[in-house]
Amino acid sequence: MMKRWTLIVAVIVAVALAFVPLVGSDTMIQFGINALLLATLAQSWNILGGFGGYVSFGNSVFYGLGTYGTAIAMTNYNLPFGVGLVVGVILAMIGAALVGLPILRLRGPYFAIATLGLNGAMMAIFSNLPIAGSNIGLVLPLTRNDTMFYELALGLLAACTLTVLWISRSRYGMGLIAIREDEDAAGTMGVNATLYKVSALILASIFTAVAGGIHAYWSTFVDPASAFDSTLNVRMVIMCVFGGPGTVFGPVIGSFVLSTVYEVLAAQISTAAALLFGFVIVLAVVFMPRGLADVVKGGKGLSWRYFIRNIRENRL
Amino acid sequence: MNHRITLTSAVALFAASALWAGTATAEDVITLGASVQLTGTNANTGRYYRDAYQLTIDKINAAGGVKVGDKSYMLKLDLLDNQSDVNLSVRQYVQLVSADKVNFLLGPFASNFALSDSSVAEKYQIPMVQGGGASTQIYTRGYKYVFGTLPPADDYYASTIEMMGKLDPAPKTVALVAADDSFDVSVAKGTRAHLKDAGMTVAVDETYREGSSDFSSILTQVKAANVDAILWTGHETEALNFIRQMKGLNVSPTGLSAFTVGVPTADFRKALGDDANYAFGMTSWLPDASLKDKWFGDAAQFATEFTAKYNYAPDYHAASGAADVETFVEAIEKAGTLDPAKVRDAIAGIGFDSLYAHVKYGDNGQIVLPQVVVQIQKGDMVPVYTTDFINKAMYPVPAWDKR
Amino acid sequence: MVLAQILLNGILLGGLYGLMALGMALVWGVLNIVNLAHGALIMLGGYVVYYLFTLGGIDPFLALPIAMVVMFCAGFALQWGLLNLVVRSKMLNTLLITFGLDVVLTFTAQLLFSADFRTINPSYAGSNFPLFGLTVPIVRLAAFGVAVALAAALWFVLNRMPLGRAIRATAQNLVAARLYGVNPRVLYAVTFGIGTALAGAAGGLYGMISNLTPYIGASLTAKSFVIAIIGGLANPFNVILGGIFVGVAESLTALYLGPTYTDVISFGLLVVVLVLRPKRAVRAA
Repeated sequence: MMKRWTLIVAVIVAVALAFVPLVGSDTMIQFGINALLLATLAQSWNILGGFGGYVSFGNSVFYGLGTYGTAIAMTNYNLPFGVGLVVGVILAMIGAALVGLPILRLRGPYFAIATLGLNGAMMAIFSNLPIAGSNIGLVLPLTRNDTMFYELALGLLAACTLTVLWISRSRYGMGLIAIREDEDAAGTMGVNATLYKVSALILASIFTAVAGGIHAYWSTFVDPASAFDSTLNVRMVIMCVFGGPGTVFGPVIGSFVLSTVYEVLAAQISTAAALLFGFVIVLAVVFMPRGLADVVKGGKGLSWRYFIRNIRENRL
Repeated sequence: MNHRITLTSAVALFAASALWAGTATAEDVITLGASVQLTGTNANTGRYYRDAYQLTIDKINAAGGVKVGDKSYMLKLDLLDNQSDVNLSVRQYVQLVSADKVNFLLGPFASNFALSDSSVAEKYQIPMVQGGGASTQIYTRGYKYVFGTLPPADDYYASTIEMMGKLDPAPKTVALVAADDSFDVSVAKGTRAHLKDAGMTVAVDETYREGSSDFSSILTQVKAANVDAILWTGHETEALNFIRQMKGLNVSPTGLSAFTVGVPTADFRKALGDDANYAFGMTSWLPDASLKDKWFGDAAQFATEFTAKYNYAPDYHAASGAADVETFVEAIEKAGTLDPAKVRDAIAGIGFDSLYAHVKYGDNGQIVLPQVVVQIQKGDMVPVYTTDFINKAMYPVPAWDKR
Repeated sequence: MVLAQILLNGILLGGLYGLMALGMALVWGVLNIVNLAHGALIMLGGYVVYYLFTLGGIDPFLALPIAMVVMFCAGFALQWGLLNLVVRSKMLNTLLITFGLDVVLTFTAQLLFSADFRTINPSYAGSNFPLFGLTVPIVRLAAFGVAVALAAALWFVLNRMPLGRAIRATAQNLVAARLYGVNPRVLYAVTFGIGTALAGAAGGLYGMISNLTPYIGASLTAKSFVIAIIGGLANPFNVILGGIFVGVAESLTALYLGPTYTDVISFGLLVVVLVLRPKRAVRAA
């Protein structure tokens, strides 16, 4: 399925990106860290959302746990950054396991809404926790090493993408896809749906938590509103779906494209940026409901007919 | 084939994104960069900063600009809209510093933004003078490049409590209601200490989630406690809801109710109409002719010009923003160079009269100013007290049904 | 006495909460669209009433029906022109498109109405009367009455009128709707229009009790979600009851745990209700 040269191109791109800090400006690196972290979030959302078909609005819970794990370890206990990340990941994995079992029994919109509620509840809980600085948040020590953050973010995205690549070619991934297509049938075929779903959630929580921890140390300030930001979760979903859910490179490309669009809009015509961003989402859903990856698959034969066909398929 | 196209185009986009920002900085221009809330939940207050920055810069340029040695520079404002999004505002400040190559930084509105954004100033060692964040948290991190023209949040109620002691009859029991964000927690903490020193009892002490719109539970408890005074701190929209719900639930303390924000804002008084009357508030600034200014003449003229140009009256946010711009001009002329470190030292040692106040920064970078207690009397904002009574307070405040 | 007053506050506010969720529950139950722009539609309805009141001088309660008609037309157009294009797509896609709509509506409102806060402030806005030692705010009582009346009207339409039978048939099965001789496209648009009209009424009442800015939508959407889930999607009265349940729970939390814990309780309730009622939740996959 996946042609060899696609992988080669991907590797070349990854290596090229690793050298960006040597030549890029500070803004470029800054933008890069953000884009890479967002891509990681979209890619880890892809594990359960794209392959397993479970639309989660609760991945920001794991992002927040990673953020706070790192921040609490570093500010309250003066532990090094690496230890902070580990604390964050452990918190997130425990959270994913505890939450996954009851909530993954729900399906469709009910699962989505439950995860959304979970995020709201977590935000409210953390804004009442004195150890997490209540609603005021925590201030982390300042570091002037953006190159390190950039390379960390790139490495994380690479690791996450490799994991997804493995998933896409493994029995495990087949199991997830089977659950997406028809969960009951998958169950009768011997797929242990609960195990698959919970492990996918835990897997996603690891990468999401690390991204949160990196972002916390980099931005030097965390508070509940930015740690458990549900619009961040919506952004992961949009980026993944825009690129192509259930594909290996779709979420990465989707988030790079959208990050760039958003950044350019926000810098150039800032007041109308959000408005245009909204229009982009609406139009994307209408004209390319299966994401960029599907548009590209159409290749040279791509024409306006493709978009019309999409509308025909989904309209009433 | 297709994957390759997508991947390479993604990389191209990725690379192109760094190139859009203009790099040209004319030789005789000093650029001040800021990212302010022009849209989103904080836009209502963010506009004060945008307009104050622009007006002050225009005024200074009209007067010949900034003199560094024997050379004259024009000021230029590079302003971005952070859409009331903290993460975006941090990125925009980095963009301002590293891509747009602005010389110095002006601040955003609100403590939580200033808290995050000032890290950028410190990181790149570019001085930031900000007039939008009052929380003491901003100034306790040992940062060297951050200065602020709003007085410390802890002392916001100091003058009000002092005044309460001189009222007849003096309030004895107080309900303290505060939002749970950085600024308001600072205010509440300081206020508790001030109340204790003044010998007043805190009968109700409630903290609410920022952004709350329903205060009926708190108000019911305040009513049951039958307090003499309510001291409230939070955001403007919340103050608006609080006052309306006070009326709806017929809660009127026998003495007074006071608010940290909202009262000095014309928009706020307009939205409440007659119900705003009697509310006490505070401001670190009044458009008074006694505040002399090098460029505007005095604070009253600043207010007139501001209102004429933007069709709404400035409040202390705007004056504070104007003082931020003037701080840079004074410091640059004093330093005689555009070198960030030298200008930073000049700011630390500055002392000049402005339309906002006598500007002088403490060792932590924050200005210290008394808050003027104000009251809305028959629809107008009337200054009542600073260290002594300026005008007569309408006190005690009558119950809602007796107005 | 404090407890009694707090229960009363919770019940009165809960009625309005219920009305907010009513339109969302209808659209969700019948069209299977989880409308993330619902809060933005409430916000727009609030502005319509605000301008009818301030510019037109119409009493806000009389302006409510006008606003409902305006919002019905807006909702009809939205479904007809846009959402009908994607209704058969995956649930995720309808979530995304309504999220996009929410962004568009919010920022259009900001451009049109500015970020200033507006209150719908008729002369009687703060009036109240004593009842057994409690204070009853008149506007909140009236809002509660309107909410119950609209729920009753919706119940009547759904259960006793041909249009309602067609709508309910559509909820079961798209093809069945054709048996009623109604074009499903029109029916979908009408249903969405009714949902939007209810949101508009809720917005007008919200503007009288609280205040309007272009940004109130997101939190109202979240609240509507919670209530629609707790109340269920089938019966309008249950949705109102769900609203009252949440209103009372929030008030009691504020009293006993402190106002900073209300979100913990309302979101916690949502999760708990979903997890404890798996039968219905699993069925509706």
